[in-house]
Amino acid sequence: MNKTAKMVIVLTVITALSGGILATWDGVTKPKIAYHQLQALKAAISDVLPSYDNYEEKDINGNKVYIGKIDGSTQPVGIAFKVDGSGFQGNISIMVGVDPSFTSITGIKVLGQIETPGLGTKIVEDPSNKADPFWFPEQFGGVVLFPQIDVVKNSIPQNPNEVQAISGATITSKAVVRIINDNIQQIKDSYQSAN
Amino acid sequence: MNLLLLFISAAIVNNFVLTYFLGICPFVGVSKRVSSAVSMGLAVMFVMTITAAVTWLIYHLLLVPYQIEILEYVSFILVIASLVQLVEMFIKKVSKPLYDTLGIFLPLITTNCAILGLALFSVLREYSFIESLVFGIGAGAGFTLALVIMAGIREELELSNIPKPFRGAGITMIVAGSLALAFMGFAGLISM
Amino acid sequence: MAKKSISLSKEFLKGLWDDNPVLRMLLGLCPTLAVTNSAINGLSMGLATTFVLLSSSIIISLLRKVIPHQVRIAGYIVIIATFVTVADKFLAAYLPEISKALGPYVPLIVVNCLILGRQEAFSSKNGVGRSIIDALGMGLGFVFVLVVLGSIREILGSATLFNIQVLGDWFNPWMIMILPPGAFLTLGLLIGLGNWLNERKVKI
Repeated sequence: MNKTAKMVIVLTVITALSGGILATWDGVTKPKIAYHQLQALKAAISDVLPSYDNYEEKDINGNKVYIGKIDGSTQPVGIAFKVDGSGFQGNISIMVGVDPSFTSITGIKVLGQIETPGLGTKIVEDPSNKADPFWFPEQFGGVVLFPQIDVVKNSIPQNPNEVQAISGATITSKAVVRIINDNIQQIKDSYQSAN
Repeated sequence: MNLLLLFISAAIVNNFVLTYFLGICPFVGVSKRVSSAVSMGLAVMFVMTITAAVTWLIYHLLLVPYQIEILEYVSFILVIASLVQLVEMFIKKVSKPLYDTLGIFLPLITTNCAILGLALFSVLREYSFIESLVFGIGAGAGFTLALVIMAGIREELELSNIPKPFRGAGITMIVAGSLALAFMGFAGLISM
Repeated sequence: MAKKSISLSKEFLKGLWDDNPVLRMLLGLCPTLAVTNSAINGLSMGLATTFVLLSSSIIISLLRKVIPHQVRIAGYIVIIATFVTVADKFLAAYLPEISKALGPYVPLIVVNCLILGRQEAFSSKNGVGRSIIDALGMGLGFVFVLVVLGSIREILGSATLFNIQVLGDWFNPWMIMILPPGAFLTLGLLIGLGNWLNERKVKI
């Protein structure tokens, strides 16, 4: 009995101390982590939209959209939103910015992915210090959304709705485009009916 | 996501051992004989499935409502350790032959990172209850597959003349590298 | 355990080579393989693991007479998991880039057999001073292997080291080195090399 009691007491004390330490530490780190997440979100929005003074966060049918606005103007400069879908090896999530009429893309940024290192991951690796300066997300600026975005291989895009695939990562490139194509109509409809 | 695709993805395309490096310790330790590899694999698969269910419930019904996600790691590892004990006692009571086959492997499973990895991945990827269950079975099946293939190769390796410094762990790693290379061929199988 | 008292410097140095946790004892292989696709990732993972190992060793060697034998493992894993959470949240709060790169492998330090193994084999039987020395030696041995592995894979796989270009444009990176197979192959060769060097040392 004495032994059992000791076991229970020691373990309870250890777990209680652990809980106490972690609760304190949680209080210290949580605001910092939340701050970093907010900064990352802001950076992503400003990456995909033309320059704006502030943005408004709106919940439309469960989709969060971020509307970029310039002070003194009622017309937004663009709308940003997050889309998700499966890529070559797992989920890819992308922040997409479009103009207020949903005609063309203003920019995209890949937020999360687990593609093949060195190939598929070129969707997130800025090549500005590399030998080959081809930067896949950059070419989305100005691309026309409808009827749909198309991917071309090994050639310069001719039409306003085309982008060029990353060589060696065609499936990843197509996945990015497909994720945008699959979601755009629904977001457009819900945004326009809400306004 | 389609459940069948999720299963294939966890078992083959994103194999726990060969692409996420989870469960390497038993992979190196228990892969000398095909028969023990099969038993170990089944034991892991069994514990993984239960873990997937229990940790999902704990995270979503206990940690999230009370906003104590900070205790995620502590509670998961405690749950896994006690689960393994419970499973061991249960099997011992219910089926003696099954206990004799799986018994010695069960205590090893607590420190198998594949189990905790599974629980962490299902939280990270925001799986639903059914999805985490399928993910658990798939990951377990993938672990068994990798372990059995490896054991088959190692039984053959015993008969070959390997340079002395590479005997044991060295050659196992190199064989695992070749296996991982082969499994890369499955990448993209489910994406389009 | 304490029957022959070896000098403190030997206690420290054994972790670096003779009893190197990865190359000689094959402990902690998961993170060793998973995060060494670049030198910086290997270094951060090694330091995070050393932090957890050191803190747990201190606490557990202090409590070694208090914790009843039957529940020691449960006690150890709670202590280890607590420090892992501290390290994980620290990285997320102050070094978000590294936290993102290491991802779920930071929480997986909990089940790194190196840490539980050292508690069971050393801290639970030795005083605080010796446990600190042991943890530092083992931790640095772990960091050493992770940085070497990470550097080899980064140089050959991306032609860079700590994100600085080290090989010229003439070099076509071996993509395979930063992919999973490269991790297994490089570690296999390193283990073989370690064994070979050790054998020669003994002969001389």
